[in-house]
Amino acid sequence: MPAYHSAFLRESDVRVIGNFSLPNLRTRTRGPAYTLPQLPPNVSELDVDPDSEYYDILDETLVLFRANTLFRNFEIKGPADRVLIYGILWISECLGKVKPTMSRRDAEKALNSAALDHFALPGDPGFPLNALYQAPRDRTEADLLRQYISQMRQELALRLTNRLYADESGKPSKWWLSFQKRRFMGKSL
Amino acid sequence: MASQTPAVVMDNGTGFSKLGFAGNDSPSFVFPTAIATKGPGGGGGTGSGRPAVAQKPSYLTGGAGPAGHLSAKRGTEDLDYFIGDEAIAQASGPGYGIDYPIRHGQVENWDHMERFWQSSIFKYLRVEPEDHYFLLTEPPLNPPESRENTAEIMFESFNCAGLYIAVQAVLALAASWTSSKVTDRSLTGTVIDSGDGVTHVIPVAEGYVIGSSIKSIPIAGRDITYFVQSLLRDRGEPDSSLKTAEQIKEQFCYVCPDVVKEFTRFDREPERFQKYVVEKLGGKQATVDVGYEQFLAPEIFFNPEIYSSDFLTPLPTVVDQVIQSSPIDVRRGLYKNIVLSGGSTLYKDFGRRLQRDIRHLVENRIHASEVRSGGVKSGGLEVQVITHKRQRHGPWYGGSLLGQTPEFRSYCHTKAEYDEIGPSIVRRFALLGGPGT
Ligand SMILES: Nc1ncnc2c1ncn2[C@@H]1O[C@H](COP(=O)(O)OP(=O)(O)OP(=O)(O)O)[C@@H](O)[C@H]1O
Ligand SMILES: [Mg+2]
Repeated sequence: MPAYHSAFLRESDVRVIGNFSLPNLRTRTRGPAYTLPQLPPNVSELDVDPDSEYYDILDETLVLFRANTLFRNFEIKGPADRVLIYGILWISECLGKVKPTMSRRDAEKALNSAALDHFALPGDPGFPLNALYQAPRDRTEADLLRQYISQMRQELALRLTNRLYADESGKPSKWWLSFQKRRFMGKSL
Repeated sequence: MASQTPAVVMDNGTGFSKLGFAGNDSPSFVFPTAIATKGPGGGGGTGSGRPAVAQKPSYLTGGAGPAGHLSAKRGTEDLDYFIGDEAIAQASGPGYGIDYPIRHGQVENWDHMERFWQSSIFKYLRVEPEDHYFLLTEPPLNPPESRENTAEIMFESFNCAGLYIAVQAVLALAASWTSSKVTDRSLTGTVIDSGDGVTHVIPVAEGYVIGSSIKSIPIAGRDITYFVQSLLRDRGEPDSSLKTAEQIKEQFCYVCPDVVKEFTRFDREPERFQKYVVEKLGGKQATVDVGYEQFLAPEIFFNPEIYSSDFLTPLPTVVDQVIQSSPIDVRRGLYKNIVLSGGSTLYKDFGRRLQRDIRHLVENRIHASEVRSGGVKSGGLEVQVITHKRQRHGPWYGGSLLGQTPEFRSYCHTKAEYDEIGPSIVRRFALLGGPGT
């Protein structure tokens, strides 16, 4: 049972740029992703049923994060796995910015501004996984990919904050913060 | 005199020694295989500067000759040492150094081992060796010189009445006869012996170890303790000593069916997080939170990658490889009787997960071969992992069972036989507990 793959590998009809897919997202942030319906009030964001219409690859990324960051080896099986990898590395980066004493508001601010910072795309010299990711073919593709990833980063940062502050203590979960030093595939963004 | 006394059973492991009498349900003493001697510790020689016995194989010293009589050379200063828990306690103060005479299952420092046995026999078990037969254990593939060194010490230094040396894995198979799942008292099976230092996977056919197929895995109890410790440190717990990590490991850890689902269970059921209170010097207490290590620590058997960067093969795969490399006519028996032994197999659901994962491997292979042969169904293969009550001290308990049988003594070599033939006599023992006994 090595590191876990994305169940979204099975989805067809998903737009792909380079070899990175753009699965639908459940989000209110603006961007190019096709959006899924918002959760009804009786469904917790921490526990979305994978078979429901609301479940997206970011839910999956948060569920797989703790297990997958323990692994150094991962064999990519398709474009959705690249979304998963990017998401996991982004969560690691976010965890690194949260201090054990931070209030929820401060963490939200820190992560949101990090999400909006400039970031490298596949093919850019600063991108850590260029051996595994193809660059977009042209300017239009690059813009679209940048907007999609930006949407992912903002939405993941938001959902991660909800997990970090799930227990009402006002302090981030020490259980999640304990994964700060782990590096999935030995990489970081 | 010796005819009424119970046999002494001693299983000396890398981490712990189990000592007691045949016929009992559990060993009378279990303590670290450690010795504290005057002067600084360390693996090599001793404080007195004598070479360790291991450096002079007995056949060079003439075996039964006077030079081999170790106790005769010994002065009184040699009594100034401690073993077991006392050794650990002494070594934490000044004046004494600690040594673990067994490494990776094999005796490395014979001088210390002799003293360890001396104290075991006279101070702990309190028996006169000339009145007792002894059953000792050895790891798989123990070199014959090692057996001879053992015999030399047992017969010449201690004058024991008789000696049998059994392979730990074979004894572990005998120990599983207590399980209701084991119907025939067979000495065919695959033993997974996981103690402190190494994990061995040992195929045994009718009491004989299939030496060429044994595999060992560099992951065992000590590694799991280190992994717990690293997780405690990642969280900055108030106490992350090895002792605390080991206690947490033994009290809280279990094997889960699926790591991702287990993380989710902890999210849904926060009561799964536990607390462990450490009593510190001066009456102070520290409270350590216990979380994911409960299931992540033993997971390193099934996913070594999360702990080690150079050993990556999961234990179920190793077991499957061991059986596949054994002679074809015994494989069925090896899959059907996979027996657990040793302290590091005690995790809850360890056997269940192992059985499931080995079954998957076997079924996938059968399925692939059915596809290749155009859909011809094969008969299937039973995979059974035996978890039983005596698993913790499996080799010792197996020794206790076999050592109490009426025929046990006839399988031993006696002091008289040793004196006549010399140490080479212990190169062979007839199979105890095999067919016909
Ligand atoms: N309940 C338990 N759960 C998990 N591990 C345990 C438990 N009890 C003991 N252990 C571990 O088992 C190990 C000792 O096992 P055992 O006595 O079989 O080893 P050994 O025979 O000394 O070593 P070896 O067989 O490697 O020579 C230690 O690492 C100890 O922490
Ligand atoms: Mg052992």
